Amino acid sequence: MFKVILIDDEPLARQLVRTLLESFKQITVVAECSDGFEGFKAIQEHHPDLIFLDIQMPRLNGFEMLELIENPPSVIFTTAFDEYAMKAFESHAVDYLLKPIVKERFDKAVQKWLLHAPDKERPKVTELLETNVYEGYQHRIVVKDSGLIRIIPATEIFYIEANDDYIKIVTNDGSYLKKSTLSHIENTLDPQQFVRVHRSYMIPVTQLKRIEPYEKDSHIALLHCGAKVTVSKAGMAKLKNLLGW
Amino acid sequence: MIATTAGWEIIKWWVVKDNDEYKKWLESSIPIRFLFIWMVCTWTATNAALRKNIAVSDSRFQQQTDASVLLKEAELFKLRQQLQPHFLYNSLNSINALIMISPSKAQEMIGKLSDFLRSSVQRESETVLSVNEEIQYIQSYLAIESVRFGDRLVVTFEKNFDENAVLPPFLVQPILENAIKFGLYGKTGAVAISISIVSDNNMLVITVSNPYAADQQPPKGTGFGLEGIRRRLYLMYARTDLLTTTSIDGQFNTTLKIPQRHVQGNTDR
Repeated sequence: MFKVILIDDEPLARQLVRTLLESFKQITVVAECSDGFEGFKAIQEHHPDLIFLDIQMPRLNGFEMLELIENPPSVIFTTAFDEYAMKAFESHAVDYLLKPIVKERFDKAVQKWLLHAPDKERPKVTELLETNVYEGYQHRIVVKDSGLIRIIPATEIFYIEANDDYIKIVTNDGSYLKKSTLSHIENTLDPQQFVRVHRSYMIPVTQLKRIEPYEKDSHIALLHCGAKVTVSKAGMAKLKNLLGW
Repeated sequence: MIATTAGWEIIKWWVVKDNDEYKKWLESSIPIRFLFIWMVCTWTATNAALRKNIAVSDSRFQQQTDASVLLKEAELFKLRQQLQPHFLYNSLNSINALIMISPSKAQEMIGKLSDFLRSSVQRESETVLSVNEEIQYIQSYLAIESVRFGDRLVVTFEKNFDENAVLPPFLVQPILENAIKFGLYGKTGAVAISISIVSDNNMLVITVSNPYAADQQPPKGTGFGLEGIRRRLYLMYARTDLLTTTSIDGQFNTTLKIPQRHVQGNTDR
């Protein structure tokens, strides 16, 4: 028996998927959730084999929710209209259903999943999340903070530091760890606001207070928050370019 | 050359006859007369060239303005279009679900969706609408949402506006859609959404309020469609302060201001 969770903010949309799933006897719906927060909790609790996930939802969208889950289950995305995300799905062979969801297409997607279910499609989703799935730039970063979900607005970030497989996001309220890479975060945040000044550091330009020479090819940036951050030669060039020095 | 010289000799003989004084003067003033004629010619040529230049740059300037107006209109059109597909596809998906659950409700929804689409198409060509027309449109939109969300959605209107007040189409509906999405979230009972439309000093002020759960962050930046509206307002009025959001005591308020004189100026054009 496979466990499935439906995550969509519209009750009728969930009802539709639930009804369409009735013809698959080997699948049971263990939970229905109306946004990413509920979805996150339900996935931790039930460990489903498959989730049907809407992207545009209030509070926490589908991608943000997935980013927080360590071993995400298989996902079939359900979306009304998102050209950009669709391209990302196709390039990573992640399955998706366009709304209005049609039975024929739905059955095909579920059958295909059942065929591959034993080896699970987890790596695909993880890979997908490593690319930039958003059209335009993000204005916030979502993190897990001792089991709770915290949304950090980009404007509250002091700086971001690379930390092995994690990134450390430093804000006024303290620092948060997130399993991600600086290159990925660099792709999602607005390059007019955030600059990768070093292999291990990214800073918002508004945080920059002063820059001092350090060693031969590097500088030290003093931030308004009091922190000091190393600036590489390439980082210095980026800053100069952006700020028009 | 020979012809000119011969001509000159004839003129001299015919006009000047035997007046030696005059002949002398005529000969010595050749450079001055030549200079004078040369200046007239140069001036005429320069004048013509300059005029042509001005005409060219004028038409180029006109082309550029035309292009930027077109570009602006194209962007406005695109922004307006962006708001529609999501709503349409989601509504069709709801109808899809209703066909299985309650066919009569599905029929009702199709009727309402058609009404809404019809009035959308009619409004497509309008630059501004009267407030009453906009209210009618909003109501046909709300009729669809109430099918989707059942009795949970309670919308109240506060109207105190000037009869002549106008506004551009397709601004209020996405704000309302936003309010409904966020208002209905994480709540079980009924959700009250209030819309106030008030005329205030050459401004039409429209406020949409919805409750939001305490643990829910008010949408920042990523708000559905709000960025698009802000951009449209900027393109239309060159102002960035016309759309504001506030959250007080669990109420999220989106306020939209439409300058009245400016809007009417647009209709005159």
